Amino acid sequence: MTVQDTTAPDAALGLAGIPHTGEAVTADGHLTEPQAEDFHHAQSAPPDPRWYKSAVFYEVLVRAFNDSDGNGTGDLRGLADKLDYLQWLGIDCLWLPPFYASPLRDGGYDISDFRAVLPEFGTVDDFVYLLDQAHKRGIRVITDLVLNHTSDAHPWFQESRQHPDGPYGDYYVWSDTDDRYADARIIFVDTETSNWTYDPVRGQFYWHRFFSHQPDLNYENPEVQDAMLDVLRFWLDIGIDGFRLDAVPYLFEEEGTNCENLPRTHGFLKRCRKVVDDEFPGRVLLAEANQWPADVVEYFGDAGAGGDECHMAFHFPLMPRIFMAVRRESRFPISEILAQTPSIPSGAQWGIFLRNHDELTLEMVTDEERDYMYAEYAKDPRMKANIGIRRRLAPLLDNDRNQQELFTALLLSLPGSPVLYYGDEIGMGDNIWLGDRDAVRTPMQWSPDRNAGFSRCDPGRLYLPTIADPVYGFQAVNVESQMNNTSSLLHWTRRMLQVRTEHPAFGLGDFTELGSSNPSVLAYLRKHDNDVVICVNNLSRFPQPVELHLSEHDGCVPVELTGGVRFPAIGELPYLLTLPGHGFYWFQITRPHEEGEPQ
Amino acid sequence: MSTRPLDAVESLADDLRTWLPAQRWFAAKGREITSVRVERAAPVTDGDPALVHALVLADGERYQLLFGIRAEVPEHLRPAVVGRLDDAYVYEAAQDPDLVAGLLDLLAAGSDAGGLDWRPEPGVALTTGLRARPIGVEQSNSSIVFGEHYILKLYRRPAPGPNRDVDLHRALVRAGSAQVAEPVATVTMAEDAGGTTLGFAQRFLGDAVEGWATATASVRDLLAEADLHAGEVGGDFAGEAERLGAAVARVHVDLATALGTRTVGPAGIAAELVGMHRRLDAVLDDVPGLRADEPALRSAFDAMADLPGMAVQHVHGDLHLGQVLRTAAGWVLIDFEGEPAAAPAERLLPRSPLRDVAGMLRSFDYAALHLLAGEEPDHQRLTRAAEWADRNRAAFCAGYASVGDDPLANPVLLRAFELDKAVYEVGYEHRNRPDWVPIPLAAIRRTPANR
Repeated sequence: MTVQDTTAPDAALGLAGIPHTGEAVTADGHLTEPQAEDFHHAQSAPPDPRWYKSAVFYEVLVRAFNDSDGNGTGDLRGLADKLDYLQWLGIDCLWLPPFYASPLRDGGYDISDFRAVLPEFGTVDDFVYLLDQAHKRGIRVITDLVLNHTSDAHPWFQESRQHPDGPYGDYYVWSDTDDRYADARIIFVDTETSNWTYDPVRGQFYWHRFFSHQPDLNYENPEVQDAMLDVLRFWLDIGIDGFRLDAVPYLFEEEGTNCENLPRTHGFLKRCRKVVDDEFPGRVLLAEANQWPADVVEYFGDAGAGGDECHMAFHFPLMPRIFMAVRRESRFPISEILAQTPSIPSGAQWGIFLRNHDELTLEMVTDEERDYMYAEYAKDPRMKANIGIRRRLAPLLDNDRNQQELFTALLLSLPGSPVLYYGDEIGMGDNIWLGDRDAVRTPMQWSPDRNAGFSRCDPGRLYLPTIADPVYGFQAVNVESQMNNTSSLLHWTRRMLQVRTEHPAFGLGDFTELGSSNPSVLAYLRKHDNDVVICVNNLSRFPQPVELHLSEHDGCVPVELTGGVRFPAIGELPYLLTLPGHGFYWFQITRPHEEGEPQ
Repeated sequence: MSTRPLDAVESLADDLRTWLPAQRWFAAKGREITSVRVERAAPVTDGDPALVHALVLADGERYQLLFGIRAEVPEHLRPAVVGRLDDAYVYEAAQDPDLVAGLLDLLAAGSDAGGLDWRPEPGVALTTGLRARPIGVEQSNSSIVFGEHYILKLYRRPAPGPNRDVDLHRALVRAGSAQVAEPVATVTMAEDAGGTTLGFAQRFLGDAVEGWATATASVRDLLAEADLHAGEVGGDFAGEAERLGAAVARVHVDLATALGTRTVGPAGIAAELVGMHRRLDAVLDDVPGLRADEPALRSAFDAMADLPGMAVQHVHGDLHLGQVLRTAAGWVLIDFEGEPAAAPAERLLPRSPLRDVAGMLRSFDYAALHLLAGEEPDHQRLTRAAEWADRNRAAFCAGYASVGDDPLANPVLLRAFELDKAVYEVGYEHRNRPDWVPIPLAAIRRTPANR
């Protein structure tokens, strides 16, 4: 084809000259797709089948981290150049939101080719390079994969609409009418009026749970299931360490149901897990299901088998509860949600976070719980305004260092693998005057140089302006100056990550809340084999005393974890501690003989 | 230990005369004891240390005591020593965790040790081998926590006859209530006609915090701000107050369903009024400063006489923020012994549920103002504290009304009961904490009828 044919299935991709889906069509109408063998493969990360249970994750937007070619947009090579920093910081796994080919009408979650990289980020070979360099440093990489739908620019959809009888005719959910599955709610009520949209090319309606430019794949079709499993294999073959599976509850539809969490959806996830277990052991699947923990545990699969669906799932309600508890100076918002969190299969782990690239939503909750959340927020307008929108950790906490440390200490010590959001380790700010999603996606602040050291381009060419206000601007807040200052938040965060790594109780241990008569103090015990850690957190801005009932550890000595200071031995009487406002302690509980201390 | 228990305890009569009045749970504080008589004493466990159960009468008031007897007293138990026998020391057993840990085994086994009935509740299998931890915070009882599983309350002044605390807990649990801690065992004395309940064990709520502590944490947060209203600060308590109101209403509904409710007519109301006026009389004698408020108080009371009737049922009887616990699963009510000042027989009578509501509303007032007690009056802080009290009292009533009858729909009764309670508080504070008298006094003067 010498002249661009606008009806070609790959016409909307804009990937000419780059290997992509649909660059050729076979005689029987199938699209040629890039294969993993076409590329180099990254060396593997060190084998450790349970690595995700004690890993610290770091969410980084490729676009926002580092620009290697000076075009104003971060890219995969740029990210690779900063791996030494991430290794120094002590993170175990990068989570990259989608970097696939995409028209970018939904932040890259509208994928137009699962087997190509968005050109402004680089190429598949660049990704292999990133992966290889990361693995050399013991850092793993996972990325988002959207199973539920594609962009309408995907060649599969183009084929499906143009050739109903071709191999892709049944890849999407088509219907002559728009009245099927009427019980499924509309998720984006602001922009969509129906889950069906008419396609004039095919003359039928297609089904979409999200935006109308994101048609849902038809999982009733075994070929779609196989095709998506092959997408998993493509990246796993190249060497990726796992996927965050986006919007998993919606894969199947069934008349008379709300089309969420259907048994067949779980059935397909079990197939995905089997591919991972059989062909790529040690890689992980992380479910994004913004629901209450009691429902999310379904996505871990059969507990008897140690879990046979996703290895991990995000614990969504914990994050707002942490904010609420500190504002209320009461541990109960946290205690309650943890008490309501069911136990999970032995091979499963929660992912927990304070902030990420998205906002908190309250859509997937029971009426009673939503009323409770609304009631708690609505009574506090300042909090509602702050939590409801996308803001970064530091500005949410009024840039209060004590609170940033307390929140991070909670994140690192509550049950689950912590996910840090890029820039929060230096206390970056946000820019609420940008579109709401972009407020927290500004360039990483590396130095006080031009463009915060993020890019060598003209400042006007940046994908988003750097933060420039006097408090959070890159002149004041940047990696370079904080690396040179050992009392900085960056160094503090690094030390805490080191301490966490030294104690398997944080990642693998049981969790037991320790009650006390002081409602402002949240104390809990983490225990894995002989590693016993007690965490005591003062959620109040005022100094607080607390008496803990630790007599079952009678004779043991608490050793503070960041400084190694030995506290008085535990006896029969309640153990008295005093904490400064927003203070916290991590103690290891040691038997006296373990210390081998000279008498 | 070879000494017979009765002799051993009797030989301590002189020691007890000085020891008893020093105990927190001793009722007649500040009064000399002229006679101590040992009603019964029996060994519960033998050995060294041995455990002896005793009931003694101090000037006719009956007290339950648990003694340990051992040859040598370790350092940490010295303060618990009551007296000395020829070959051993007698000390208060409730302070010896190792000794009282054995009580759980007696309860689990359904023992008859010491001639007492140690009985688990039907269907309850107690976990044994737990560490014991005496806690000594209560005014009138002593409690022991086993592991983080159970709490055993020993009634210091056990009265013969039905035990309201146990009976109401059982009724509520049978009704499926989630607002009480499940009963797991009792200790009773069978020889008395009708039996006497000496101890009551319940599931321990290890994650719980007293309502008073949660409420005052909120007040502290508010008063640290000079400029914000109670609804604007992060520590706002209204959500909790509303849930607490709903929990109290649910307990009332469950008690009414389980044990019935009835309406008393004018004669019953008149009888109630006699008691209220009598209490006022007594406080007026002590606190002349209340005289100016007497007419308003009496007229607020007497407004009750115009009511056609008043619904009565079993209620908590002594409800305030110290009698409710916040747990991770919600609010729980504890200690259904009834009004401490009332005689045992009187406590068993059904009362208006608005008595409980009034008690809690008064408690919110105390929580709001206690930090300011004894301070130079500061208009700004007083205003903020009053806002907190109003906000949380309203939220409590709204929560109550979401489950039960709206308490504000019966303003005459509610006002009269609140004032009755405030009058009692004035008397109490006058005797015990004069700095705090302004709290109930201000409430009396703020009541709408007085404006």
